[in-house]
Amino acid sequence: MSADADPNGWIGARLLRKEDARHLIGASTFTADVRVPGLMEVAFVRSQFAHGTLSGIEKPEGLEARVFSAADFPDLKSIDGGPELPSFRTAPYHAFAREKVHFVGQIIAACIAPTRGKAEDIADQVFADIDALPAVVDTVEALKPGAAILHDGFADNAFIHATVSEGDIEAVAATAPVSMRRTFRMNRQATVPLEGRGVLAYWDHRLDELVVYLSTQGAHMMRLGLCLALGLPEHKMRVIAPDVGGGFGGKNRLMPEEVAICAIALKTGKPVRWIEDRREHLIASVHCREHHYDITLYAERDGRILGLKGEVHIDAGAYSLWPSGPFMEASMAARNLPGPYQMQALHVETHTVATSKSPMGPYRGVARPGACFAIERAVDELAHELGLEPADVRRINLVASEQMPYRTIGGMRLDSGDYPKALSIVREMVDLAALRRRQMEGEADGRRIGVGFAVYTEQSGHGAAEWMKRKSRIVPGYESATARMLPDGTMLLLVGIQNHGQGLETTLAQIAAQEITVDPANISVRYGDTALTPFGFGTFASRSIVFSGGAVARATRALADKARRIGAHLMQIEFEQTHLADGAVHGPAGKVSLAEIARAANVRQEFLPAGMPPLLEETATYEPEESGGFFSYGAHAAVVAVDPETGVTSILDYAIAEDCGTMINPMIVDGQIIGGVAQGIGTALYEEMPYDESGQPLATTFGDYMLPCAPELPALRIHHLITPAHGTEYGVKGMGEGGAIAPPAAIANAVCDALRDTGARIWETPLTPRRVSDAVAEAMGEPA
Amino acid sequence: MTALTFTLNGEETTEAVEPREILADVLRDRLRLTGTHLGCEHGACGACTVTIDGVPARSCIVLAVMCDGKSVETIEGTRDDAAMNVIRRHFHEQHALQCGFCTPGMLMAARDIIARHGQPDEATVRRELSGQVCRCTGYMGIVAAIRSAAAELHPEAAARPMHTVSSLA
Repeated sequence: MSADADPNGWIGARLLRKEDARHLIGASTFTADVRVPGLMEVAFVRSQFAHGTLSGIEKPEGLEARVFSAADFPDLKSIDGGPELPSFRTAPYHAFAREKVHFVGQIIAACIAPTRGKAEDIADQVFADIDALPAVVDTVEALKPGAAILHDGFADNAFIHATVSEGDIEAVAATAPVSMRRTFRMNRQATVPLEGRGVLAYWDHRLDELVVYLSTQGAHMMRLGLCLALGLPEHKMRVIAPDVGGGFGGKNRLMPEEVAICAIALKTGKPVRWIEDRREHLIASVHCREHHYDITLYAERDGRILGLKGEVHIDAGAYSLWPSGPFMEASMAARNLPGPYQMQALHVETHTVATSKSPMGPYRGVARPGACFAIERAVDELAHELGLEPADVRRINLVASEQMPYRTIGGMRLDSGDYPKALSIVREMVDLAALRRRQMEGEADGRRIGVGFAVYTEQSGHGAAEWMKRKSRIVPGYESATARMLPDGTMLLLVGIQNHGQGLETTLAQIAAQEITVDPANISVRYGDTALTPFGFGTFASRSIVFSGGAVARATRALADKARRIGAHLMQIEFEQTHLADGAVHGPAGKVSLAEIARAANVRQEFLPAGMPPLLEETATYEPEESGGFFSYGAHAAVVAVDPETGVTSILDYAIAEDCGTMINPMIVDGQIIGGVAQGIGTALYEEMPYDESGQPLATTFGDYMLPCAPELPALRIHHLITPAHGTEYGVKGMGEGGAIAPPAAIANAVCDALRDTGARIWETPLTPRRVSDAVAEAMGEPA
Repeated sequence: MTALTFTLNGEETTEAVEPREILADVLRDRLRLTGTHLGCEHGACGACTVTIDGVPARSCIVLAVMCDGKSVETIEGTRDDAAMNVIRRHFHEQHALQCGFCTPGMLMAARDIIARHGQPDEATVRRELSGQVCRCTGYMGIVAAIRSAAAELHPEAAARPMHTVSSLA
């Protein structure tokens, strides 16, 4: 593969992925593909009640030894997490429910048998005696006086109330010529990686340790959490994350199933596994989104925004998942509400609410899709109220490139880039003027055309300072990498992140190749095994290319430095006279191949300089000096056609202008953007996990949980701006989540724009045909 | 238990199965062909797509005993299939996979789409993919890969109207 961006050629190369081959022949190894002799399968007995008192469990006669419940594991520690804040209330989350159940799907018992079918047969015969209590379902109602209280000892249903405030909002409110209040809701979702969760555990007698195969985004972190829950010393556990079929945040929390499987394996001495089915995933895995916003924008009549006051409710579900709990969701939503806009004051009251639903975890974009939806919908509302073009209102409020670095009123340090330029590019890409003319003319088929914009920022590569600000009990402020050159000059990179679709086997090899001038084909990237790699936190928060890429660069650079010293010694020249190129150390009059140097370092130490320790192996950690993060950003423009009768929305065009700094591999960057936008379109138009009044989940199959598929999705158009970050290796910024942030806002704005003359407006996601047609009917004064 | 005899990837195979067992579980758990993936277990996501007597089928909603006397092909059986190897190369070149979990089923569907449509246009490919879920790629790479593989495999099809190319494989 050739590359032209750089003398060494690997940074910026559209290198095809090293990880594709095994997947393309059906030879990958996902957790469900792993077999060990004597394996037992687990089926869980789950609560059918949203809230209730669990007074007893009857195991089927003769099968008692096949059924496990809380009474079998009195020593298991609860697995709840949360920020280190005294104001944060915790409710113990036990892997097996003890006195009470708090959501439909909560684990009551586990049944083991040689096949899943037989295990489910046993599970069907287990009786759980539950006295139902009132469910807590509506996020906002849950805090009103008289609401049923979910957790004993809570004064109200909030895990935490907190305020994010900066500037004098009362002064702004008193003098602002315009004040506009709106409410928005982003509904609940599941994360839905195509591979569900899965865990297999067995005791390895030779190594005297519990081996845990786990579909996770961070093997080291899960070992830490599992050992806390099980009371096992960490050297007695090895966690292996083999191929992982997508995560998107949903595989980045300690979950009760994993703890239960390990506990059963320890108790029975048998290998056991649980493979999540789709119904379990939808009702009982990590849930996400579900934000409610009540915000007031203060502005000048020319559209200039002065301040934002609001209240945010986050529906956190029944428990607070280890390690960080749901609080980050509220603080990130509040701090991101000003978006990329300048304003003088921000005051947001946040409430992280406990409800009878599966617990909330992170999902691609974490909080920002909701915040972006709220602020960007509000900007459109403001523009309409003032009779201005929404794109113009955005332009006058955006932080300009000459203001960078710019600290937003939400406390985000926007480091670099040209936000107005991104907006003007997508405005031209969709040809706003032509669209406005087309709207005047109308459509022959009766549909309405609309255009919507959204501008987003994506914090990435944030280190210790930012995580400490969030009061996180785990501070993922660095990553680590070991670069090891083998005697023949080929290389291994051992990293603590988890590649699960992001192409890191390729991009990390490109980074090492850049530093050491070895072809990436001769560099293998290894991860996902606590026995193999140095400690790392895993892949989430758009952090891997900044942190792990940085660690790989540092470790490889140190290795290259040592190789040059050996090369200088072998050529009898000074270190300063050497340089690396084409897999060799070059001097003024000759060269020594890295293979020759590696051979000396590993197996022929007599060729090393006197006193130099053998081996070509370096371990490095990396954290950028500026640990507030580096902000990728972009502008999205959606053009839609809406049928006001049926409420069906079709996306006609979707344009993106984004800037993630230097791209290591533009093909992979585009893949992340497209995949992220597809998920954002899912949030905007299709995906929803609704509950009825009694707390029963209403989307339990792919027949009622709608995923975006190929026919619904558009071909996206992407324009890259490239502003290299100051302070990361090569100027990279993380960008894995950005695609998912803006689509709900851009598409909802486009739908409302399309329906503007009907008066219909939509305040919540997803914009299903039912919601849209109901809104039109209501606006026209017709029955829905 | 019932004796199931069928042709699996070209070889006659006999396996004792329970009548209630689905084909996917028999392939994966009894016959250790784990390239067939389970993404939903209710026939909605297409990750488990195999062919039965040459026709794509969701192995998660087919009882194994229904395959008695039939010929089943899984992704493992396609390694020497010239057309599939072309499609694989285009998937690789067009970045048509990320986590790889949907990929085997997607390839089985892709080969069938190309066999039936020759050189399908983008809308046809997207419509034909409606039963295959990919959560990572947003489908653009997959659509591009199927179209470019089709152009390589059926250069003659471009000139012909689509319906004359169509025939159920």
